[in-house]
Amino acid sequence: MRRVSSQQALRFVLLGVAVFLLRGGSPACAGIVASKHNLSVSGPGSVKAASETAICVFCHISHNATPDAPLWNRRTPTGSYTPYASSTAKAAAGQPDGASLVCLSCHDGTIALGELLSRDATTSMAGGTTTMPSGTGNLGTDLSDDHPVSIRYDSQLASTRGELADPATLTGKVRLDAGGRLQCTSCHDPHDDSNGKFLVMPNTASALCATCHRKNYWSSSSHKLSSATWNGAGSDPWPHTTATTVAANACENCHRPHQAGGRKWLLNDLKEEDNCLDCHSGNVAPKNVKAEFNKTSIHPMAMTTGTHDAAEPTVVQARHVECVDCHNPHAANTTGGTLPGSLAGLRGVPIGGGTIEPITAEYQLCFRCHADSPGKPAPDIPRAIVQTNTRLEFNTANPSYHPVAGPGKGGSVPSLMAPWTTTSVIKCSDCHNNNAGPGAGGTGPNGPHGSSYAPLLERQYLTADFTTESSSAYALCYKCHSRDTLFNSGTSVASTVHRLHVVGERSPCSACHDAHGISATQGNATNNSRLINWDTSIVKPNSSGLRKWERTTAGHGRCYMTCHGDNHNPESY
Amino acid sequence: MKHTRGRTWLATWFACGTLLLAPQAVSAATITGSAHDFSSLNWSGGRICVACHAPHKSDTSIADAPLWNHTMSSASYQLYSSATLKATISQPGGNSKLCLSCHDGTVAVDSFGGTTGTSMISSKSNIGTDLKKSHPIGFTYDSALTTANGSLHDPETKTVTIGTAPQTKTGTIKALMLYNGKMECGSCHDVHNTFTVGGTGSGLVKVSQDGSKLCLDCHNK
Repeated sequence: MRRVSSQQALRFVLLGVAVFLLRGGSPACAGIVASKHNLSVSGPGSVKAASETAICVFCHISHNATPDAPLWNRRTPTGSYTPYASSTAKAAAGQPDGASLVCLSCHDGTIALGELLSRDATTSMAGGTTTMPSGTGNLGTDLSDDHPVSIRYDSQLASTRGELADPATLTGKVRLDAGGRLQCTSCHDPHDDSNGKFLVMPNTASALCATCHRKNYWSSSSHKLSSATWNGAGSDPWPHTTATTVAANACENCHRPHQAGGRKWLLNDLKEEDNCLDCHSGNVAPKNVKAEFNKTSIHPMAMTTGTHDAAEPTVVQARHVECVDCHNPHAANTTGGTLPGSLAGLRGVPIGGGTIEPITAEYQLCFRCHADSPGKPAPDIPRAIVQTNTRLEFNTANPSYHPVAGPGKGGSVPSLMAPWTTTSVIKCSDCHNNNAGPGAGGTGPNGPHGSSYAPLLERQYLTADFTTESSSAYALCYKCHSRDTLFNSGTSVASTVHRLHVVGERSPCSACHDAHGISATQGNATNNSRLINWDTSIVKPNSSGLRKWERTTAGHGRCYMTCHGDNHNPESY
Repeated sequence: MKHTRGRTWLATWFACGTLLLAPQAVSAATITGSAHDFSSLNWSGGRICVACHAPHKSDTSIADAPLWNHTMSSASYQLYSSATLKATISQPGGNSKLCLSCHDGTVAVDSFGGTTGTSMISSKSNIGTDLKKSHPIGFTYDSALTTANGSLHDPETKTVTIGTAPQTKTGTIKALMLYNGKMECGSCHDVHNTFTVGGTGSGLVKVSQDGSKLCLDCHNK
């Protein structure tokens, strides 16, 4: 191959420039000519004419055009489309019209690309192509996986839908049509591909999306701000974009405007959790949350697909769990604190019932499913007093409760270890958490995603009768309650009750104590303070048919029941 | 490696240049033999010019119509409009009105010299009276419109070449394509087949439609 000297190269360049200028000086190789919308034989794409040299003619004609669009030269589709729909959409998308419909004359794949009104015969396309080949250019007639089009976007929509810009502000690149409707042309300029995908403006950091969509909390979200990149392992989290950081992908970390796997809300993937776990696998986000769901006790996100609904009531009715039930991806961030940034911008149920948004305490989130929701499973441990509504179990008016919704009853709890005191407030996740997370001294992700200890406990908590006491058997309790104080402090509770029963008789803590609390609607201070609520598989009625504990004075009480064959009628301490 | 990359770049550059320089292999033309040569039709008596022009007793009521001989159309036209149109469109005038005396399909081609003919224009060449279907005409195309539209070339500075070598002219859009600063039928079409490209049936256009050059001379797409 002959090498071109630099002098020769320079001559070629100068000649090229001269030719360029002689032809009028316009950048004729930019714009439509260099874009895939140049369907003529000179076009740069794979979809182009076999021999036709004119470019504009594939859409426009100077005479005898149809009025469907400026000087339009294509047949307008007459078929029916399946429009986009979601439970949170307020602008019900109907059949496409206006500019969108004329785009679909190629992009729905029903009309031959070379079928032009000005021609008697269909213009032949290269390679025998007739209609738009399948791929990103062919949207089909099912538009339910595409951003809605031909919707009227007025100030009323902006206020009823919320999180939308006032359409009066759309005076820049993103425009509505003359009828105030959003069309394909709001985002795409068919004549200019300089931004890629014929976008009217670059969508780096979702600048185009954000022209209309104003998501609450978004400005401080990690999904807007993070500079994290993909380490190349596992699935490409951003297969449909060229951006390489979380911040640059922004909305498109989870959403895509066309051919979305999860049609409602235009999510990348059909399975809700897949939208999160490609990144939250240690491959983009540092912690591998994905692996947590391989554990024995999990929040089972993979169990349901399509059950979660963004418009569902605060008190979840159809039981399910998805990542977005506990995390708001538009809000989540890395700030710490009692209510960490991972739980920012969420709805919840206050201790008194109702709705609070955003939540101010973690338990309000848990109450969405673990309180008033119907269809909750029976408790793992059969109790004398059965209660599956944690909101009632943790109420601070109860005779006893673990101090989740407020400090405890103020009684003496000598076993508490620093920093815990009787004025402390704890979180659900102080007990229910990753067994290898920071709370357990590990390096895994924080939060109750999965644990080796059921029910999703941070540490071991054995509940079977005849469990040999050890520091590990009840590690969860011993996180806060001193094992030494419980058994060896010399009080009658320590010696006569705890050591005798837990160490001697090998009864689990849970035989007598109900960890959450006893609702004031079911129990009372005499019989149910100190979280007393029997495991009825272990504790049986005594010879008089009684099964109860009575508090007598501080640190003293008596029991009526039969346990391990020993009739207490009563036994006092 | 460096040279190869340079050559690739050059090749791309030349592909662009060549595209624009695509040869128009048609000899310099005259009205004889063109679509406007009616001499083979019975009503013409073998004459070419007579349908439009007469050396004597011509119609002087039409502005800008030299020695006019064809019966004018009295049609009222529906005007082009679009949501993005920035130009002001009014009923056709200027040389466009002369073209429409045949091409709106309301007056026979052989209606001239005071006689009413019967030979109507072919459907393919008939653009009708609904000018919504046709590129707008009769509007002022100047720098102000260029600015308002946003995707037009400035007619006062953009240089174009019309015709087929050796019969070509190069000048601004305004000089070669506008009439009194307005776009008219004659902006794209050369009625006498003087500065045209393409053979019979190619619409007497002044610039080749290869690469849609005719459109892109004005439209900066």
